[in-house]
Amino acid sequence: METIRSAYLDEKLEIVKNIDFLKYRSADLPTWCPGCGYFGIVDAFYKACRELDLKHENMVTVSGIGCSGRTPIFINSYGFHTLHGRSIPVASGLKLAREDLTVFAVAGDGDALGIGGGHLPHVARKNINITFLLFDNSIYGLTKGQSSSTTPYEMKTNSHPAGNPDTPLNPIKLALSYGASFVARGYAGDPQGLKQIIKEATLHQGFSFIQILTPCVTFDKENKTWKNLKEKVYDLNLRKEEKNMETAMRMAENEPYGVGIFFQDRQRPHYQEILRNLNKTD
Amino acid sequence: MKEFNIIIEICGSAGEGTISAGEILSRFMSGQGFEIMSFDSYPAEIRGFGKCVAHTRISTNRIYSPGKLADVLIALNDKHSISQLSALKENGLLIYDSQPPRPHKEDKSVVGWAKPGMISYGIPLNMLAHKAAGNARGMNMVALGAVAALLHVDQHGFTDSIKVRYGKKKQIVIDSNVNSFLEGYNWTEKNIKKIDPHSFKGMTPSKQKEKLIINGNQLVAQAALVANLSFYAGYPITPATKIMEILSRELPKHGGVLLQTEDEISAIGAVIGAGFGGKRAMTATSGPGFALMTEFTGLSVMAEVPAVIIDSQRAGPSTGMPTKTEQSDFNSAVSGGTGDCPRIVLAPTDTKSCYEATILALYLAEKYQTLVVVLLDFFLSNSIRNINIPEKPSSKYLDANIAPDKNDLKDYQRYKITKNGVSPRAIPGTPGGMFFSTGLEHDVYGRPNYSEAGHLEMTQKRFAKFNTVLSEAPAPEISAIDRDEFDIGIISWGSSAGAAHETVMSAQKEGINASSFSSMMVSPFPEKALIEFADKCKKILIPELNFSGQFASFATQILKRPVERLNFITGRPMASEDILQKMRDM
Repeated sequence: METIRSAYLDEKLEIVKNIDFLKYRSADLPTWCPGCGYFGIVDAFYKACRELDLKHENMVTVSGIGCSGRTPIFINSYGFHTLHGRSIPVASGLKLAREDLTVFAVAGDGDALGIGGGHLPHVARKNINITFLLFDNSIYGLTKGQSSSTTPYEMKTNSHPAGNPDTPLNPIKLALSYGASFVARGYAGDPQGLKQIIKEATLHQGFSFIQILTPCVTFDKENKTWKNLKEKVYDLNLRKEEKNMETAMRMAENEPYGVGIFFQDRQRPHYQEILRNLNKTD
Repeated sequence: MKEFNIIIEICGSAGEGTISAGEILSRFMSGQGFEIMSFDSYPAEIRGFGKCVAHTRISTNRIYSPGKLADVLIALNDKHSISQLSALKENGLLIYDSQPPRPHKEDKSVVGWAKPGMISYGIPLNMLAHKAAGNARGMNMVALGAVAALLHVDQHGFTDSIKVRYGKKKQIVIDSNVNSFLEGYNWTEKNIKKIDPHSFKGMTPSKQKEKLIINGNQLVAQAALVANLSFYAGYPITPATKIMEILSRELPKHGGVLLQTEDEISAIGAVIGAGFGGKRAMTATSGPGFALMTEFTGLSVMAEVPAVIIDSQRAGPSTGMPTKTEQSDFNSAVSGGTGDCPRIVLAPTDTKSCYEATILALYLAEKYQTLVVVLLDFFLSNSIRNINIPEKPSSKYLDANIAPDKNDLKDYQRYKITKNGVSPRAIPGTPGGMFFSTGLEHDVYGRPNYSEAGHLEMTQKRFAKFNTVLSEAPAPEISAIDRDEFDIGIISWGSSAGAAHETVMSAQKEGINASSFSSMMVSPFPEKALIEFADKCKKILIPELNFSGQFASFATQILKRPVERLNFITGRPMASEDILQKMRDM
């Protein structure tokens, strides 16, 4: 029995070892709840890194506070778990000081749109060359189920047991109007599609914004549940010529569950290029 | 050579050229070989005819403080000058406009308020300016001409200074300024019978080495550039903005990046990001911005990422008085924020030490992987001195990161426990040096860890840095160090130290045996040196520019004995006259 079991494990272990995208996973076990959408997100992230063949030592993932804040612990690269709402400023400073690094910033919906909401317009309009992943589960998970900036109106939460009195923000519309040069939406339940978006975003020269629809299996039983998302999420399948601001804005308004790249401006220089051009001494 | 020391104040309304007249005066006097210190006071509003005062001290000897009362007051504006008369010596000189335009009947000339001992000279400033250039704009130059004539100052040298000041402007601007100056000079020489004793005749000191005429903000920026700053992030705020403006121009030339952020939280966040990337980074701010930055100061200490914050203090809590000086951020800088959070705080004591403190701050932040706060104040930021051109720092100060070696990288522990609390720091891009940093309490690898023993061990590690940091602090400045006993010991910090050292000398003349002590590093504080000094003193006096005696309370905890406090919140720099008065009463 012992030997059989061992042989079985060895064989499985060999298979796992050969899944080379797992090189981007750290040795630490994620602390997220079983069934959490974030597993799907990091899975897509590892695969994107593998396909881009990113060097571990040249990658830095910067996070804020919340369930998403732990993400850098589970990535085999440099990581910095900063303050609530502040992954964008730290990632911006890091990228501007070290242009050679590939810098990712991650944040949750409360993190990025609530407490840190003031930073998003500016990183977008400056077009700082970082990739930003918004883990949007529309709830405060780590503090156990309070309303966030994307919680639907009237949804009952622990901070609003009678129903959320606030109108939710529309992250895609915000990113578009702030002037982000790459705006996309992905879904934690579709790691293949999400991987593709993360890859495109990383290759994009400028600020890339990805809203990722993901469930909180513990504190949200009615809004972004796996069941609801599975039913509602679909691929936007935008053709190249449709990726303009007008279509993107309309889609952002009307298609809350459509995933794909809404908008991309490849012509606009990123912040360091702008600085270099402006400070050129002739 | 005879000692010569004079304080000249020009008082006018915003927009009347008050500050530029003061600037020309101090540049000229510096060129003549005098020591100068000038300090302008102006309203926070850009327009609105607020009161401006350009205060310039000129001396053949070393100047320690701007001095409290002026020898000469030049009144460009009657209304504002009336309130400025209280800052003129009892036997001071008043130069006023004898034929000002009077749009309102109730307007009164400042001369009516002059005290009996004062000497007043009426010069038709406005009329002469019109005569010279067709408008009132040259009044400030007419006034300078009058002063030059009265005090026997070389008129040719002075006109050269004016030409240099307006050198980049159109010829007509240069001409009308020079003509206004000469109009004032000639009229005064012809029409005024001098009855005061002030004269620059025979007072021209021997020419010294080329001097730099500069203020604290400019020196901070210069120091940052020579100390390999490569990233600056900031948000505009009086009185620190100038640092960002200078670096915005200069940093790109040095290959660095300047980022103007949306707020101060973002500024310090970006600085910490750049620091994490292994680059030297800093930000500069004042009280309200420093309050926002407090959010991030703990992360710098906890995650052990270098960061430098220049806090140029202004008066009061909240928005307070943006253009007034005060030393009331001591508590906030040394112990503000949450948790047990040791940080290094440097408080430069004069203009030149703003340069040294900035270099030291960038070096210590990098070497000890922590937060360094440099406490300037409105006075240090803006007062102008002529100083010797500062030396470039030695290579020791330019590269201080302790990188992990091959052995360290075998099983890399970013937060390895060491004797001096400093662990080898891998910079992103180093293969095998990958680590995770967090503001959470963590283990030696950086992984979150909340164990009792772990929290104690890491807290001790962060505090252990203090032991060696102290050895890198410049030695405290102590006057009359050779003597064994003093009636009064003055302990001061920051910009008040100059006035304290000056007081020791004037006290000596009155037979008061005094000494003074100040340390640029205030956190950690050189406690041993302080106690040794205090043991020599019968009484201790702590003068500072805040209401509650923040530093006095701090020092009392170390000294464990009562101290005399002297506190001012006038918005003006510390004056040695006030310290001396207090000492007489002690």
